[in-house]
Amino acid sequence: MNARTSSTALVVLAAAILGYAAYRPTSFAVTVVTWITVRSIVAASMRFVMLIGEINVASIGFVGMGAYASGLATASWHWPILAALLLGAVVAAASAAVFGFITLRTRGAYFLLVGFSFTEVMRLLYTQVEAIGGNDGIVGIFPPTWLDRWFPALLIGTGMTVLYVLYRIERSMLGKLFLAVRGNERIVEAAGISVLGVKTLCLVIASFMVGIAGGLHAHAANVISPGDFGFVVAAMVLAYVKIGGEGHILGAVIGATVLTIVEQYLRGFGALEHALFGAAIVAAMLFFAEGLWGLVHRILDHVAIPPAAARKPQ
Amino acid sequence: MALYAQLFLNTVQIGSVYMLFSLGLTIIFGVMRVVNFAHGELFAAAALLVAALVPAATAHLGVPIVISYALSIVAAMVAVSLLGAVLYQFGFRLYLRDMTGSFILSLGFLLLLQGVLVEIFTGVPRVVPPISEETMVFLGGRVTVQRLVTCAAALVLATSVIGLIKYTNLGMALRAVSEDYEAAMLQGIKYGRIAFVGFLVGVNLAAAAGCLIAPLFTVTPFMGADYLVRAFIIVIIGGLGSISGTVLASFVVALLDTLGGFYFDPTTTTIAMFALVMLLLVLRPQGLMGRSD
Amino acid sequence: MVGEHAREHAVVLQADGLVRRFGGLTAVNGVSFRLYAGEILGLIGPNGAGKSTTFDLISGFRRPNAGMLALFGEDMTGRSPSQISRKGLVRTFQHKSFIPDMTVYDNVLVGTMKSFAPAERDRRVRRTAELLGLSDTVDVLARDLPHGRQRLLSIAIAVASRPKILCLDEPLTGLNATEVVGALRIIRELAQNLPASILFVEHNMRAVMSLCGRIIVLHHGELLAEGTPAEVAENPKVIEAYLGKAK
Ligand SMILES: Nc1ncnc2c1ncn2[C@@H]1O[C@H](COP(=O)(O)OP(=O)(O)OP(=O)(O)O)[C@@H](O)[C@H]1O
Ligand SMILES: [Mg+2]
Repeated sequence: MNARTSSTALVVLAAAILGYAAYRPTSFAVTVVTWITVRSIVAASMRFVMLIGEINVASIGFVGMGAYASGLATASWHWPILAALLLGAVVAAASAAVFGFITLRTRGAYFLLVGFSFTEVMRLLYTQVEAIGGNDGIVGIFPPTWLDRWFPALLIGTGMTVLYVLYRIERSMLGKLFLAVRGNERIVEAAGISVLGVKTLCLVIASFMVGIAGGLHAHAANVISPGDFGFVVAAMVLAYVKIGGEGHILGAVIGATVLTIVEQYLRGFGALEHALFGAAIVAAMLFFAEGLWGLVHRILDHVAIPPAAARKPQ
Repeated sequence: MALYAQLFLNTVQIGSVYMLFSLGLTIIFGVMRVVNFAHGELFAAAALLVAALVPAATAHLGVPIVISYALSIVAAMVAVSLLGAVLYQFGFRLYLRDMTGSFILSLGFLLLLQGVLVEIFTGVPRVVPPISEETMVFLGGRVTVQRLVTCAAALVLATSVIGLIKYTNLGMALRAVSEDYEAAMLQGIKYGRIAFVGFLVGVNLAAAAGCLIAPLFTVTPFMGADYLVRAFIIVIIGGLGSISGTVLASFVVALLDTLGGFYFDPTTTTIAMFALVMLLLVLRPQGLMGRSD
Repeated sequence: MVGEHAREHAVVLQADGLVRRFGGLTAVNGVSFRLYAGEILGLIGPNGAGKSTTFDLISGFRRPNAGMLALFGEDMTGRSPSQISRKGLVRTFQHKSFIPDMTVYDNVLVGTMKSFAPAERDRRVRRTAELLGLSDTVDVLARDLPHGRQRLLSIAIAVASRPKILCLDEPLTGLNATEVVGALRIIRELAQNLPASILFVEHNMRAVMSLCGRIIVLHHGELLAEGTPAEVAENPKVIEAYLGKAK
């Protein structure tokens, strides 16, 4: 498969999914695809921050901000839905700008731990504020009635657009700069580019996207509560990225898809659901650390290119 | 005056448990460069075992409660050490010095262990029967003897671990590896072995904290998460891998907890603490005692 | 009598009483010096003398505990490395002065980002690669390059941003004799073509003597001597510092 045929195949697949979502918006399959879409956005954004070499556990905190801001906007203030979604994204991005500017001076384990604390603290904060429902969260976040029928397709389409934008940024000059920061920040700084600025920008872009994801989730689920945005969610999202494979943005999508489907079968195991999920992560880390994307790639390489031995002149 | 004494005692008591817990985390990070998110589950496992074994031992063996408490602690420590050894051999060993990989792996262990603990012990909170109900006056405050003893035990334990790290050959090797593992290997230190020992020391500190906390608070499989968040704040403030920083930060956080819990409520305290951490990061990104490069 | 000809030129860099401590150790202790427009100034000293730390101080990678730094007459003390780089001072590092997992082309591209419009970058990257003899390896990953080429790459990244002051930290370490000759020629050309003032740290004495018009010597973090190559080579304090180390 060369690049052109595979991208054509992707576009056809995307169009088919969208078409089906428009045709049977209430089917269970489409509902599952909307879950996968939201999770793919968050996973791809988590991976986006990995381009600068950081693990962004705070991302779930920003999903929560997006969800709460846009949920409030439609449920309490009766904003139009697109404005509400945009508000969620902007709130998440603006908070990420402040958060990033402060915390991205640290790196590695520190940044991870700060992000973890941030996510937990945001969750606690939601429980404390009565205006946003405290422990119960916000109920009755609906898309407008005229849009109801089209909402799954809108959600999936938005998700695909977000993924495409993230992919393009990764392939652009800015994407190279992110990788340069991961590879050797001193060189970037010595070249006259503020590493803190580049990192913050990366975090802001990722958070804008998860802000959208949060808003989409709120309007698809109709109910949000603080528990939806705890650090365990971050663990799950990281599992999507890792099991799907870090090497490509589609790895995040594959991971979210596979694990969401697996999760459907794990329902009814109660507390063991988490345990099995944990076991899956451990198994993935022990047996195929490059993730499914790496696995698929290796198989494809094997099929497409004749084995090295055959090419060697003998 | 009595109030201040009470607050002081509380701080020392919470602080010494925080210290054990966070020292474990920081030692593991120092030698392995692994942030072990499953640390809280090991802590909870020890506490749950003690909570389950003490009543059982008292009922079946007919020994005094102090003895059954001691036996339960030994059993819990051994069991959690074995569990730690399994986690190391079949997991962390492959992800030494790989922050991302080990992070995800330890999250996997966290979910796995938490699920298993809920399955075995159920989510219902457990209470360990008190060992003694006696109270006494200490520094003008009234405390139960039990609290005083656990507090003293935690302090003694932490001091001996720090002594071990400062003055023994093993401790020297642990420190050398934390400073610069490549240089340590050049000096003939076997990294793999030291990493394993360091991990077990860390695991045992978590287990010890769990055993000591069991008779003081209610015990659930979910208690690990609360301590983990606290411990993370402690190591961010103290500097990951820094022993003295961790000790200091444990008591700072314990003091904030005590004061916050007294004047406000625990949730507000956590939020305020995080705001403080942010402020600290603006001023000193490397933590309170961390090195500046 | 020191560097009389240089005095006629403008001061591009002025360091005054720079101090940097690491715990109990004072790595740089009250170092003052000037760099004049168009000159190649050598900075030498035994291992651990504080040369790299001095580089860190003048390029903003470390804050000095005391002292001040001015570039082109403007006080730059306490500025960030990227601000200093945008002012025109660009440095290389003694170790790992490139991005291992990126191609030579992308490495040099990072160097062009601050001073060139996107459309001009490609030309600039290719010109710089050519200048440093890297044209035939632009698509190779930096970590796969032979050591000598990695050193040249680190210079290329710095040069790509068209610096006014170029600070090179031991650019010749690990090069063989032919490579050293080539690198010296390239550095000399750079000084003329960019044009840039160059601050040059090196242990290879012969290279320093042939390249630099003026040399300053650091020892235990302090400025020990300053002068022309000939003056420095004969300075008894300098000889003792180097012999003292050899014992
Ligand atoms: N980050 C640091 N922490 C503690 N000490 C340091 C640090 N960096 C350098 N030093 C010490 O400061 C002194 C000066 O180091 P520096 O690297 O500046 O020397 P140098 O002249 O560049 O030596 P070399 O020729 O070996 O490169 C040395 O004693 C070194 O051990
Ligand atoms: Mg040096």
